[in-house]
Amino acid sequence: MWEIAVELTIDQRWDLVDRIAKETIEVGAYEPTLRDTLADVTVKPLTGIPFAIAVIYGFWMFFSGFAGFFTDGFFVKIFDVHFLPWIQSVFPGKGTWLYFIFVGDPSAETCFESFGVLTSGLFLPIGVVLPAIVAFYLVFAFLEDVGYLPRLAVLVDGVLHKIGLHGYAIIPTILSLGCNVPGVTACRPLESRKQRFMMITLLGVFIPCAAQIGMMEGLIPHLIGWVFLTLAIGYFAVGFILNKVWPGESPEILMDVPPYQKPTWRNIGRKMGTRTSHFLMEAVPFFLLGCLIVAVMYLTGAMDWLGNALAPALTGVFGVPEETVAPLVAGFLRKDLAIGLLGGIELTTWQMFTSVVLLCIYFPCLATFALMLKEEKWKEFLATMLVLVVTVFVFGGLLNLIGIGLGIA
Amino acid sequence: MGQANVGKSAFFNRLTGAKVAESNYPGTTVDFTKGHMLFQGEYVDLIDVPGTFSLQPKDKAEEVAVKMLGEEKEALVICIIDASKVERGLYLALEIIEKGYPVIIALNMWDMAKSVNVKVDTEKLEQILGVPVVPTVATRGEGFKELVSRMGQAAPVTIEEIIRSVGNSSRTHH
Repeated sequence: MWEIAVELTIDQRWDLVDRIAKETIEVGAYEPTLRDTLADVTVKPLTGIPFAIAVIYGFWMFFSGFAGFFTDGFFVKIFDVHFLPWIQSVFPGKGTWLYFIFVGDPSAETCFESFGVLTSGLFLPIGVVLPAIVAFYLVFAFLEDVGYLPRLAVLVDGVLHKIGLHGYAIIPTILSLGCNVPGVTACRPLESRKQRFMMITLLGVFIPCAAQIGMMEGLIPHLIGWVFLTLAIGYFAVGFILNKVWPGESPEILMDVPPYQKPTWRNIGRKMGTRTSHFLMEAVPFFLLGCLIVAVMYLTGAMDWLGNALAPALTGVFGVPEETVAPLVAGFLRKDLAIGLLGGIELTTWQMFTSVVLLCIYFPCLATFALMLKEEKWKEFLATMLVLVVTVFVFGGLLNLIGIGLGIA
Repeated sequence: MGQANVGKSAFFNRLTGAKVAESNYPGTTVDFTKGHMLFQGEYVDLIDVPGTFSLQPKDKAEEVAVKMLGEEKEALVICIIDASKVERGLYLALEIIEKGYPVIIALNMWDMAKSVNVKVDTEKLEQILGVPVVPTVATRGEGFKELVSRMGQAAPVTIEEIIRSVGNSSRTHH
């Protein structure tokens, strides 16, 4: 690659570095400051674990409080009380296919139920997901900026070792809770192919993004803890199995834990801005498109046909009604939209829970899917898809059996 | 170029006005980004690359950085070094100097180094290496005027010259 006159050996170069350093660097006495004490307290297990739990709890309280405040207190009122009745009455041609596509069900009382491009298609991204995205990245950017995340990595290192991963894996995982796309690209610093494959698979299958979480928070706030628990069990169980069966090494990763720094608000603001505008520009069109496709499939009868075709799996294996085929279709475009569309279907609590879990794992969103194709080799990609399909059937079947066993299905 | 988490993306955003993600942990940048900056009255390309410990890549992200350096043979390289961990960054800087690239060194996070009482004699370092050395704080933009104004002084130096000058300065010392 290069034409060089003289090149040093590694030892010679380190030797030169030492000699230069001796001439130019002076390390003075140093009194530990508050910053160091804090750095220590948050990384030692005895104090660090309670601290981490407090951080995560605080994160969640802020996230759900912030998103709930804007969604329930503001957007739901605007959309359901003012916008929906207005568009239902002014949009011409009630009963025509055009009305069905754009407004949806004329008797719907909420934008969760209407399914129209201009009703659900606008309310779900702006009213429900946008506040969740803003809330998530506000806290997340702050944690990134002060430098807390590597400490979390140190703390969970032991647990993740049990499934052949290292503490560093927590960073792609948390990134994926925002959006799977940066989560999957963040797997590049993992050294071995095995770790990258495992990590990408676990992220794509089990980690819901902030948009999905926001939608769950809007639709099923009382079930969300159970959904997380189920997905976490899956993450560790599948990780454990993959670590046993997939060949390859899991070398140690050495990671620097940087000192804490004061948050730079300019940087946090910039990240928030980038994420939010990215969502508005890229996600909203997909919501509209998703609603359009679902409406057209209903109108042409394709949805009923597909529902009938998939009924043995949906009702037989998973115990959910065949109407859930519409969210399944929409989920190929946006998983958050898919979960939102469950709001318009009549489901028991257990069916709702099962459906949300299945929607989380049955397919990574289109963007993540495309990225997996790029980041993984063919064999790995096919293995990821196999893991995904097997997980869907095992999880769906088990949940149905548990529901039947408990008599709550 | 520089090691992980020394502030390369913060530099890039400062110099180009771009909005690349910056955060306080290693591994934020995993791909390269091109931007433009004003240098001596004209716009030139500036490339942000992932962090790397050396020119022998250990993972996919480091590969991107090393490959980019190999492709951009005419490049002027801004070597960013964590001012409180100079030795580590110096190793990579020497490797890049050996390849014949004109280099300017930024000792970033200068404020942090000061707070842990690490003092770097920038003049002497500059004298030994024969390339400009500028202390900076990228998140606040400190030292950037000097950095940009001295980028023109970056010129290739040979490793023999460096070995010779470090020898000289040790002799004057004893």
